[in-house]
Amino acid sequence: MMRFVPLVALACALAAPLFIRSDSTFAIVTFGLLLASLAVSFNLIFGFTGQLSFFHAASFGVAAYITAILVSDYRWNFWLAIGPALATVAMLALVVGAICFRFKLREFYFAVVTMAFSEMIRLVVVNWNSVTNGTLGMTVTAQPTLWSPSGPVALSGARVWYYVALAVLVVTYVVCQRVLASWIGRCFAAIRLNEQLGETLGVNVFLYKLLSFVIGSVLAGLVGCFYGFYTGFIEPQYLSITQSLDIISMVLLGGVSSLFGPVIGGLVLTALPHVIDLTAELRIILYGAILIFVILVMPRGIFGLFERPHHAV
Amino acid sequence: MIQLIIGQLLNGAIVGSLYGIVALGITLTFGITGIVNFALGAFMMLGAYFTWYGYELIGLPYPIAVIVAVLLVATLGLVADLGLFRFTRNNLVNGLLVSIGLISIIEASVLLTWTSTPKDLSYVLPGSLRVGGILLPKIKLAVFAVLLLVIASTYLALTRTWIGRAAFAYAQNPEAAALMGVKTNRLQTIVTVYSTALAGLGGALYASLYSLEPTIGAYYVLKAVESAILAGIGNTIGALVGGIIIGISEGIGSVFLPTAFRDAYGMLFLVLILLFKPSGLLGSK
Amino acid sequence: MLFEARGLTKRFGGLTAVSDVSFGIDEGEIIGIFGPNGSGKTTTLSLIAGMLAPTAGDLVWQGQGIVGRRPFEIAEMGIVKTFQNPQLFPELTVLDHMRIASHLGFKRALGARRLFTLVWPWAAADIESGADAKMKDMLHLCRLTEARNEKAAALSYGAEKMLGVAMAMMCDPKLLLLDEPASGLGQEEIVNLEAVLRDLRAHGVTLCIIDHKVGFLGRLADRSIALAHGAMIAQGATRDVLASDAVVEAYLGRKHA
Repeated sequence: MMRFVPLVALACALAAPLFIRSDSTFAIVTFGLLLASLAVSFNLIFGFTGQLSFFHAASFGVAAYITAILVSDYRWNFWLAIGPALATVAMLALVVGAICFRFKLREFYFAVVTMAFSEMIRLVVVNWNSVTNGTLGMTVTAQPTLWSPSGPVALSGARVWYYVALAVLVVTYVVCQRVLASWIGRCFAAIRLNEQLGETLGVNVFLYKLLSFVIGSVLAGLVGCFYGFYTGFIEPQYLSITQSLDIISMVLLGGVSSLFGPVIGGLVLTALPHVIDLTAELRIILYGAILIFVILVMPRGIFGLFERPHHAV
Repeated sequence: MIQLIIGQLLNGAIVGSLYGIVALGITLTFGITGIVNFALGAFMMLGAYFTWYGYELIGLPYPIAVIVAVLLVATLGLVADLGLFRFTRNNLVNGLLVSIGLISIIEASVLLTWTSTPKDLSYVLPGSLRVGGILLPKIKLAVFAVLLLVIASTYLALTRTWIGRAAFAYAQNPEAAALMGVKTNRLQTIVTVYSTALAGLGGALYASLYSLEPTIGAYYVLKAVESAILAGIGNTIGALVGGIIIGISEGIGSVFLPTAFRDAYGMLFLVLILLFKPSGLLGSK
Repeated sequence: MLFEARGLTKRFGGLTAVSDVSFGIDEGEIIGIFGPNGSGKTTTLSLIAGMLAPTAGDLVWQGQGIVGRRPFEIAEMGIVKTFQNPQLFPELTVLDHMRIASHLGFKRALGARRLFTLVWPWAAADIESGADAKMKDMLHLCRLTEARNEKAAALSYGAEKMLGVAMAMMCDPKLLLLDEPASGLGQEEIVNLEAVLRDLRAHGVTLCIIDHKVGFLGRLADRSIALAHGAMIAQGATRDVLASDAVVEAYLGRKHA
């Protein structure tokens, strides 16, 4: 039965604009969908391969900056700019991942080293004023256009962005789903179970950890490409440890052991501060409390309450 | 120039010993409970704010304000241990995430209560000593001395007292220590609370030197983790040495290298250590 | 000769765990390596499986040197090792575990064409059903058919260890290295294990078993190697090895003294 949940959810999501009237509701859901995509891609690395990465915000932020800079300053076409952005993210992930996995850094050490790399990249962004405008961030005014039979359509307006965000989520979800359903997912599971055991069962642990890290990071980059253009604003905060933590909270809240859990986590955590009116400080307190509560009380998350874990295969 | 460098050396050593005292807590907690407690940074920040509140707003004498702040922080540490960390022992990832959740809560609570406006203590101990043409502020010397004293006595306590030896034995071999009658749970609680108290003291002393902001905790705990890793996790005296090395290299580094990337050098150094000598600079392997 | 170790030596710092050990394994035999704790059995097995790099000596597999190969490459060549304590997901079923272990079969069958199955999963349908059949066979062989839908948490220790063996068998090993398969098992489970291992041999797998239970290996192994303090003190037909003076002194003598 649970197999059909994502499909039913997609059908509901496609039909939702028929019922949603207010632009602010659209905005919340759009943010939720984009952040849910980030959470889904993060869970490929964390929940399915067992690696606690703090690099996710960096991948997300770097891609956001590169697309925005290429489009705003160099007048590139948005869709073309996605290419170099994702290629850069892939290269960064490849280098960072290769270093960490070659030296067999695990758990805490992997977390610390990815955090260190992420901070270094953030410092470059903060201090490279001439290109990134430093701590002030950059406004993104350009609007990507989509080809249509009746001429190009600008990606603007709550409704259009809602569907764009949904498309990003679907792409992320389907890529992860395809990867996990294939032999690669089995290798990831073997690594999460026990690296040594995986290796003796013929799994190239280094290669598959790297693969997981790169795929997850590139997908985070994909979300970043769109995110900047949706908000119209990019700041170094996108690459911060706090951003990585928000993603981790979403994944834990939704449930680490499934692909769909993080979607719920992302939507719920994004909507929560809007449903109950909260100041920024209270929102952070709430996030912290949720993180702790989920770990101590419901380690399988919201979706885990309904579903038997099937994530290994 | 010489004057500048000596000044930076002293500043580096003091900041470094502040890193060191938090790093000592990190190392002790990790050795006994298997948790890397990032929340120690938040406790340090709380220690600083409590001291500021006691000294500046209530008007307690500084030493009393420090003691009260440390006791308050230790109590909070006890609550956190019994309410949270007890359930994540020996689960590194969960412990890490819970401690990070705790940081967010404490940091945001302080923001709510005292806003992000920097707070300063009025002069606790004015005046300077002149040593060979160089002015050394008395307060910095006093803080440095207290930090050294506390870290040294912690080391002595670990090696000379029963509870210290039990902790040491436990870190080496938990099962054997349990067989020898070490009460694991109580030991873990004591060490966790002591580590929080150390962090609180670091914060209380910090308050006499620099401005208080809610973000200092996160900043200092990252440096402390760097120091602990630099020394090799589990090495008590190493935690201080590691902290001072980082403090001094930052101080000296900022004279010769662009300051904007000061934190990045530390990160890079940390990564290199972890890759090539994961047991730390002072480690045996 | 299927496999040969020549002058195998492993030092950890000042400690010599395995010292100048040489032996061969023929196809289809069951070879036992025994010795007291700390005699270098497990280290020897880890060296063969590539999990440790030998300090000196050579490992030859089907005429080819394998020193320096990574463990997964060695597994791919047909040498698979089981662990003394099986590592399992408590919440997943026996079949789930078998599926995780089926990866090597896909790799052998499809090679780079696996990438195509990412976009066109149906291309792997017949291999998937082949893997399913193999899973069934292996579970049957390891007496786990009835437990196939049980969660790992519900298995007995003996069944957990069997699952470890069954997962290793999914990799189609030519040589299966078993790390103390009988340790921690009851008498009945050991009898069952012996039957399974004989069946595996009948299935065409060569077995190399380490254990410190002399009785178990004595009944099962065709040939044996005895280790003490990392050095080989006897090798030959199991009965002769067990009766040799060196073994009685180094192993049984100490145990009963």
